[in-house]
Amino acid sequence: MMLRTCPREKEVKELVERGQWPQACAPELRTHVGGCRICGELVLVTAAFQRARAEAAGAAKVGSPGVLWWRAQLRRRNEAVERIGRPILGAQIFALAVNLLLAVALVVWQARHGVAWLTWLEQLPQTATLHLDSLWSSALLDFGWNWMVMIPVLATLALLGGVVVYLVSEKQ
Amino acid sequence: MSWESVIPNVFARDAHPNASRVAVPPMDDEAFAGFYARSARSLWAYLARTSGDPALAEDLMQESYVRFLCATLREEGEVAARRYLFRIATNLLRDHWRRPRAASIEEIPENYFAHSGDAALADSQMMLGPALAQMRPRDRQLLWLAHAEGYSHREIAEVTGLGSASIRLLLFRARRKIARLLGEEECGREL
Repeated sequence: MMLRTCPREKEVKELVERGQWPQACAPELRTHVGGCRICGELVLVTAAFQRARAEAAGAAKVGSPGVLWWRAQLRRRNEAVERIGRPILGAQIFALAVNLLLAVALVVWQARHGVAWLTWLEQLPQTATLHLDSLWSSALLDFGWNWMVMIPVLATLALLGGVVVYLVSEKQ
Repeated sequence: MSWESVIPNVFARDAHPNASRVAVPPMDDEAFAGFYARSARSLWAYLARTSGDPALAEDLMQESYVRFLCATLREEGEVAARRYLFRIATNLLRDHWRRPRAASIEEIPENYFAHSGDAALADSQMMLGPALAQMRPRDRQLLWLAHAEGYSHREIAEVTGLGSASIRLLLFRARRKIARLLGEEECGREL
């Protein structure tokens, strides 16, 4: 189909859209529209759509803007909360990874140094009296500085484990 | 106290000074009420006439406004806001047409939309309804935007996402077709 245009198309369209066709236009333009197929079609179509628009706008069922406003606010808030929740999920994964890494490191470290504290645990019930002094002295004598490392590591693990459990339960 | 003040910098990305175009602050409820009063009827008319379903038009209109309020405008002014609103509505309508049939919008037969629903029956009282019902959905959108809303080719391209050059040709063809249909309607009435 050939795309044909008319130089007076724009002028005619503006007149129809402003509601000035055909009363408020020059007779010369009316004669032109009568003879020009492009402009004739334009008038027919634009006038029909303008009438349809006016009728449809009159029949429109328009609700309250307040309801839409609050719906949008709610959606915006949910989207924002979701956006904030994403880094928290990342932190949870990170904490879990750190925990696993520490646990693996601890196991490896214990395996390398021999599981000495297990023998100490086995001997524990055999001691007649369980005094704090003897516990301290035996621990310090048998294992030296190992306890100084073990206690902070276990405390960190417990702390991080607690944080992970809390965050996971919070998410659920 | 609004929730944005409780959770600060939630939309900091939107307000970043290095953004390609400056984000326009969102409308407050009073500004929105005014904008809604000025645009709702024409948006409903567009959706109802191009879909042929007033109930669907109402649903899509509400969703269009909610999405409009949630979005960050890049251009200031009511004309740009209105154009953006029509763009959202056009996309929603297109999604709706694509969803149930699981087929391209171009593959839907033209007579599928003819005389479907109450709106089409109501339209039969008027001259445009039956002719519009025989047009392709996309052509109806283009024709409405051009001849009812008075949008230029560039504006229609922005609303529909089509190329400006394509709009020119598509609109020419659609106008020729509907003019023929309207002419036939008129001849039928005279007889």
